[in-house]
Amino acid sequence: MNNRLKVLRAERNWSQADLAEALGVSRQTVNALETGRYDPSLPLAFKIARVFDQPIESIFSE
Amino acid sequence: MPSAKPKRPLTGVAAFGLVFGLSVLIGVFAGIGSIFAGDVPGPAGLAASLAVNGVAMAGALILCIWWWRRIDEAAREAHKWAWWWGGCTGALVGATILLTVLSRDSDMGFGSLPLHEVLVAGMGLMFTCQVIGYCIAWAVWWVKRR
Repeated sequence: MNNRLKVLRAERNWSQADLAEALGVSRQTVNALETGRYDPSLPLAFKIARVFDQPIESIFSE
Repeated sequence: MPSAKPKRPLTGVAAFGLVFGLSVLIGVFAGIGSIFAGDVPGPAGLAASLAVNGVAMAGALILCIWWWRRIDEAAREAHKWAWWWGGCTGALVGATILLTVLSRDSDMGFGSLPLHEVLVAGMGLMFTCQVIGYCIAWAVWWVKRR
């Protein structure tokens, strides 16, 4: 699964640690998400969508 | 009026350190308790040993649950993957060694050892192999996701 996490984070000038804190996960998890090597659970995907104020489908794609 | 700073839950290395430290204390408790309970003969001694070991294991389980609730979903996934693949592979390696060694009793000389020593050695071997497999699998999971 592909995602736009890195782009969205860069647009907001957030570090991985900032995003990790907003999501309540570790920085390593944010890194794994951004590289596309770890697919989030549905609850975490919804949380990511809330943090970036965007629908899930605009963040994640197949 | 300044608002009170919200208390952040203990996570990460600090939580791991606390769990590790308390686990060591539980181990010390179990060790000392076993020494005293081991000196008590009969059913009372058996009950005392069971109580000491049961309390220690319950404490370890409580610590485990407390720590598990503080790690995020990727960390949990890494541990679940390591538990299954690392633990099972380690158990297979341990079982292979154990079966080989036990089937060569005449060469290894285990027949002269008391049964409980053979059991403890076998359990120790299996546990060690599983822990090694677990650690390798856990590291592999994270390295693949860097």
